[in-house]
Amino acid sequence: MFSLMSVGAATSGLAQDNPYDTTVDIRMGARLFQAECGRCHGLDGKGNDETGAPDLTNGSFRSASTDAGLFNVIRDGISGTTMVGISWAPDNRVWQVVAYVRSLNPQTGDYDLAGDADSGARLFRGKGECVTCHIVNGAGGRLGPDLSTIGNRRDPEELRIDLMDPNETVEPRWWTVKVVRADGSVITGSRMSEDTFTVRVMDDAENLWHFVKSDLRSLERVETSPMPSASDGLSASEIDDLVAYLFSLRKES
Amino acid sequence: MKQWIVTLMLSASAASAGQSSPSAASMPSFSPVTWERLLHASDEPHNWLMYSGTLDSQRFSRLTTVSKDNVSKLELKWAYQIPEIDRAETVPLVVDGVMFITESPSNVVAVDARTGGLYWRYDHELPDDLRICCGRNNRGVAILGDTLFMSTLDAHLVAIDARTGSVRWDIEVADYTKGYSKTAAPLVVKDLVVTGIAGGEYGIRGFLDAYHADSGERVWRLHTIPGPEHPDNKTWAGDSWRTGGAPTWITGAYDPDLNLIYWGTGNPGPDWNGEVRLGDNLYSDSALAVNADSGELQWYFQFTPWDVHDWDAIQVPILTDMNLSGQSRKVMMWANRNGFYYTLDRVTGEFLVGTPFALQTWAQGLDEKGRPIREPGKLPTTDGNVVSPSVGGATNWWSAAYSPETELFYVNAFDGEQEFFIREQEYREGEQFTGGGAQNVEPNDKYKSAVRALDPRDGALRWEFPIQPRSTSGLLATAGGLVFGGSVDGYFYALDAATGEELWHIALGSRVHAAPLTYAVDGEQYVTIAAGNVVFTFGLD
Ligand code: HEC
Ligand code: HEC
Repeated sequence: MFSLMSVGAATSGLAQDNPYDTTVDIRMGARLFQAECGRCHGLDGKGNDETGAPDLTNGSFRSASTDAGLFNVIRDGISGTTMVGISWAPDNRVWQVVAYVRSLNPQTGDYDLAGDADSGARLFRGKGECVTCHIVNGAGGRLGPDLSTIGNRRDPEELRIDLMDPNETVEPRWWTVKVVRADGSVITGSRMSEDTFTVRVMDDAENLWHFVKSDLRSLERVETSPMPSASDGLSASEIDDLVAYLFSLRKES
Repeated sequence: MKQWIVTLMLSASAASAGQSSPSAASMPSFSPVTWERLLHASDEPHNWLMYSGTLDSQRFSRLTTVSKDNVSKLELKWAYQIPEIDRAETVPLVVDGVMFITESPSNVVAVDARTGGLYWRYDHELPDDLRICCGRNNRGVAILGDTLFMSTLDAHLVAIDARTGSVRWDIEVADYTKGYSKTAAPLVVKDLVVTGIAGGEYGIRGFLDAYHADSGERVWRLHTIPGPEHPDNKTWAGDSWRTGGAPTWITGAYDPDLNLIYWGTGNPGPDWNGEVRLGDNLYSDSALAVNADSGELQWYFQFTPWDVHDWDAIQVPILTDMNLSGQSRKVMMWANRNGFYYTLDRVTGEFLVGTPFALQTWAQGLDEKGRPIREPGKLPTTDGNVVSPSVGGATNWWSAAYSPETELFYVNAFDGEQEFFIREQEYREGEQFTGGGAQNVEPNDKYKSAVRALDPRDGALRWEFPIQPRSTSGLLATAGGLVFGGSVDGYFYALDAATGEELWHIALGSRVHAAPLTYAVDGEQYVTIAAGNVVFTFGLD
């Protein structure tokens, strides 16, 4: 009992909020982040599929929920992964990195948005027809990504680009493939995953297919987005409303 | 009563085992691996006696039981799960039926090569404030007599009894708190253990060392960045040589006739900010030829002078003799992270052949000495500048292979690109010192990746086998007419060495980040590969 108490006392600093989170601390943290972490997580913290290091800008983490948890992950690393941590660094410098990582997540308060989220929600389900392809909070179509927490991942400017110019970035998960089988039958759909020998597809009727490439007559891939641009048919103010709605879709904290 | 039953069962199973494998008695039990045996390792293809199989590092096995005709019948014989979950990069050794597997972070086990059954384990105790850029990895051990030699993440070299796992000696090669670490398998040359160092992202000064196998005493050290007493030191602006990197984190090769050790060196530091280290930065990103007895540098060939993209020349040198323009040549073959393939004369270091083997946009070509002619406007910038290859390279440390039968050089190639950034950064001892970074422009699925077979006479592409999305695995060539390899999508596969046709594959469920090897016990040929944190061994029925 006594030893438990003393351990608690020695680490009680961890239970509190980040003691180093001024703008100067964030700047110091950014410098250490670029030196020690950027190699894997990207200089912008957005992750890298080459190193397997995740995006740190979403404001939510698989392995930590509090600042204290984040401190532990960043100091000690994650055992069994390439994430090694900076246990050699003094505590204040680790806290500064925590402050910097937190600052990467856009907060609702950081933006003054022109649009109206409630109108955006109505457009999403109505005129915009977004719900035919996107799930929000468990309901909707499956032909595009789930947008239930999109506000944690994308800032308003990025959301505007997503809507106006869907082809700007298209994750390989949302490429389209056209499969011609040996018997000549054709299946098109979204490319759920592909490897050296096989490919998996969800067709337009939301059926799941698995193909061995060597069995196919042909396999074509289209790397543009199946999503229509919102500028075809929606006004500038309607797009503002959709952006406001999407940015409000966040994990409850 | 119980006691009696147990005894009975044991003797019964012993009797049946004796009957079912009559050849067991003919199998020589583990015997000391003398220097003579290492010199002629290709004569005992049932063993895998060093990291790259043989001193010429060809990764070519003379075993023929598994061949083009029956490789499609390979099946899993056993799997060994490494308890520490991490990315396994190990190439096990096999000596007379005993396999030595290194594990993350710095451990080694000896198992039976037919079943994976454990003989012993050695766990190296590590401090908790290691300085490692890229994961807790170890790639393998070396053996001489009945002693194993292993690199550890705290920059030690440990000699371990191959029969029990007891430590013979354990020495500090460098101070890990200054950014040094060790991950590569050492190379035994005569009675010396030759071993490199990692830490190119921490502003270290690289070196190659040789230690007495018996005592662990250091016999020589070759600094890969010469000191101020040497004219080549002038290839580093000011004091930048002190923190210039040029590590030696993969295993080299040895030519007994020339008594030369060949070893690659890594990036200059800081990786991306070349402004603070103007000059060619010798001998970073180079192939070194080193006298085995004295450690003196015989010649060097620098692939990428003043590198600003982190393109380490950390590839395993592959040696062969070949006819080139009517002349018999002792050559060294090298597919570099910078996108070019090279054939060099290994007596003199003379440049013979050089041509791109993967997408590269940073050089117009190579001049008659093999020096790159840089394309202007391809340096890292504050806002980012897109260049091919990516940081990870056109290839990297994963082993290439060469088959003297097809006379082809096999390499895993990646036609990627990345955006490179430069940052100002002060050196602080024991912290990363990289001066920038790089990030993806497009997802990896957009880029091409393939196993490529090159003709080392001119670097021409003979065939390629496309990989989706890419591979970070080493390769193995065999006299059965096969090339084995893996991929990040978790496949292990066999290709026809002459045509690249796929003959067999299996999904192992996790990234292959190691190189395959083959061996035989009791006349049965096995093929082994690590994927994820599991070592898989395949054989025929
Ligand atoms: C060698 C590459 C590498 C370096 C360097 C690195 N990381 Fe990581 N990091 C990873 C990987 C890979 C993971 C994912 C681990 C897993 O699978 O749980 C990760 C995970 C994390 C996580 C947890 C994310 C989550 O969702 O739970 C945080 C936070 C993190 N890293 C922060 C940092 C910081 C801060 C630094 C610099 C001090 C850093 N990392 C340096 C590779 C790296
Ligand atoms: C035909 C199906 C379809 C329709 C209709 C559609 N989308 Fe999409 N959407 C997609 C697909 C597929 C993607 C992923 C590819 C891409 O990035 O364009 C996507 C991507 C997005 C993204 C980026 C998601 C991310 O994870 O980065 C947002 C935001 C988005 N859609 C919002 C909308 C809105 C708002 C509407 C209605 C105006 C809409 N979509 C209509 C299919 C659709």
